[in-house]
Amino acid sequence: MVTRWVSVAVSIGAVLLAVFVTAMLFWAIGRDPIEAYAVIVHVFVDPGLLGESMARGVPIVLATLGLIVAFRMNFWNIGAEGQIYLGMFAATGVVLWGAASHMLPPALMMPTMVVTAFSVGGIWGLIPAFLRAKLQVNEVLTTLMMNYIAMLFVDYLVYGPWKDPHGHGFPLTIPFPDYALIPLIPGTTITSGVIACVVVAILVYYVLSRTKLGYEIRVVGESASAARYAGISYMQVALLGMLISAGLAGLGGLSIVSGIIGRLRPRASPGYGYTAIIVAFLSELNPWIAVPAGLIFGGLVTAGEALQAALRIPFSGIQVFQALIFLFVITGEFLKRYSLEVSWGRR
Amino acid sequence: MGAEVVAVGVEWLGAFLSSTVQAGTVLLLAALGETYAERSGILNLGVEGMMIVGAAFSYLITLATGNDLLAILVAMGMATLLALIHAVISISFRLNQIVSGLAITLFGLGLSGYLTFPDVRVGILRAINPSLPMSMAYRQSTPKLPDISIPLLSQIPVIGPAFFRQNAIIYASYVLTVLLWWFLFKTRPGLNIRSVGENPAMADSLGINVYLIRYVATLLGGALAGLAGAFLFIGYQPFWVEGMTAGRGFVALALVIFAAWSPLRVMAGAYLFGGVEALQFRLQVLGYGTTAPQFLLMLPYVTTIIVLVALSYEMIRKKIGVPAALAIPYAREE
Repeated sequence: MVTRWVSVAVSIGAVLLAVFVTAMLFWAIGRDPIEAYAVIVHVFVDPGLLGESMARGVPIVLATLGLIVAFRMNFWNIGAEGQIYLGMFAATGVVLWGAASHMLPPALMMPTMVVTAFSVGGIWGLIPAFLRAKLQVNEVLTTLMMNYIAMLFVDYLVYGPWKDPHGHGFPLTIPFPDYALIPLIPGTTITSGVIACVVVAILVYYVLSRTKLGYEIRVVGESASAARYAGISYMQVALLGMLISAGLAGLGGLSIVSGIIGRLRPRASPGYGYTAIIVAFLSELNPWIAVPAGLIFGGLVTAGEALQAALRIPFSGIQVFQALIFLFVITGEFLKRYSLEVSWGRR
Repeated sequence: MGAEVVAVGVEWLGAFLSSTVQAGTVLLLAALGETYAERSGILNLGVEGMMIVGAAFSYLITLATGNDLLAILVAMGMATLLALIHAVISISFRLNQIVSGLAITLFGLGLSGYLTFPDVRVGILRAINPSLPMSMAYRQSTPKLPDISIPLLSQIPVIGPAFFRQNAIIYASYVLTVLLWWFLFKTRPGLNIRSVGENPAMADSLGINVYLIRYVATLLGGALAGLAGAFLFIGYQPFWVEGMTAGRGFVALALVIFAAWSPLRVMAGAYLFGGVEALQFRLQVLGYGTTAPQFLLMLPYVTTIIVLVALSYEMIRKKIGVPAALAIPYAREE
């Protein structure tokens, strides 16, 4: 019980420390930190900005839930960013095909996009999983490299074959028709993607704690050799786990093109896949905490833009803030471990 | 006619080799440092962040003072500070090195963007050099480090200009490679570094200070990542773009594995990867890939993955001393 309380206290302390250091950074360039944080808080109060924030939180939450699956099996998937790009590619592909061929009834559009984005993102994630399981190729580096490849691939499409012919030469696809967009929750400014996040969190929790696959993921995560003795096929668990992990990031990609931008453009994700890594650790790989935490981090993206517009504080200030939270949270692990040792010592 | 074709070919080859060495040097410097860190058992995914911070500071300092040497030293110093954070988290606190490195990379990318944001940049430049004209403060480029021709050696056809008509950091990288190879494999402290990475408990029982060696190796890695960033900006592409490292720090990490933790092989690998980058530029100059340059830009990343896969088949890996304790924190048994 003591450690549980300490754990929460340390996480809160880490965030507060990041708030303080970032305030110093604002102050150092001659901006009033109080004013800056007022702008950040305003993002979560103003209905319009809140809606924007939640929309941006959705891809972060979905990618985080995916990463939780991978990290639980000790698979270092740093590739959520690339998997998001593949999801955007797949979702957009369905829309463009549907618009050109008229073979897809509007009612089937969104379900088809969901299935395609999940599958294509997932298949992209199978590559590093297979290489790791079959040939012991380090997944950290392969997933990282694949991020750049995925991003350039989307660049190629929107600068080339997928460019809107009536778009005055800008690298953009045609705008999505209404039935390919994620609707708002009626009567609010909040995207219904938030509901999807909660549903996915329930599913991830269920898979991880109530199914055979979830059990195998835990065993593999604790010790790959123990898993082998227990007769668990590492290949099978890694492939299935990464299919889910990367597939969810792919859905995150769908939520960007259909829930934020309404079309595909280059660099459509400002690093949501990396932000998701931070959120995964901040929420201690707990799917329930990941939902609110991810939505808040979505708000920080909106806040970053608001800071730049209102106070001419660079957007990267928010990136620094997020990275500081990450640094302090992982450093806080040390305090948690230390407090554990102390409490054992007392007993 | 035939002679002309040959002359054009030789000129093309010369230019290609020259840019191969330049592109390769960015990776070489970062990978040399990472080789030492990993030999001592510390994996540093923060190289990318340390590199971009080095590039950002070399940009700011050269713009403010015009002093290249000062720019290089500040860049190395700042990157070393980031490495110190990584060292404290992964050596003293014994926390996960992958996560720590990633956090430092994200921090470095954010910080470099923050400090070079036009508004902020002008303030910093004015603070360093109050007499700096406003028009200078908004520049995104600075003069590139001058090339120095080495007498005689630079006269060798094709190879000469590529290797011996380059700037001072490139010459320093030749010396560093040989020096770091010699130190690691031919000296007692070098042996200590390797033994700390292979079996820290054994090294400790022999009276070697595991923590100290890991700290020094990690800080050296940071300093060289900073130098790589400084070179990237003032020695190779002296035009500031946010995020201009573009994953080179991660490619350097792959290069260390490719080179099986040997400085000499790191050099060979760096020029191979540099050649891929140079080839991509040369092909674009020749007009290839004008409709889809993205596929050429993918080359370094695709090459890295192919190399990692090919390496897994390599039985030779087992013969080479691989740092067995890589990324495993060491706790001294009391």
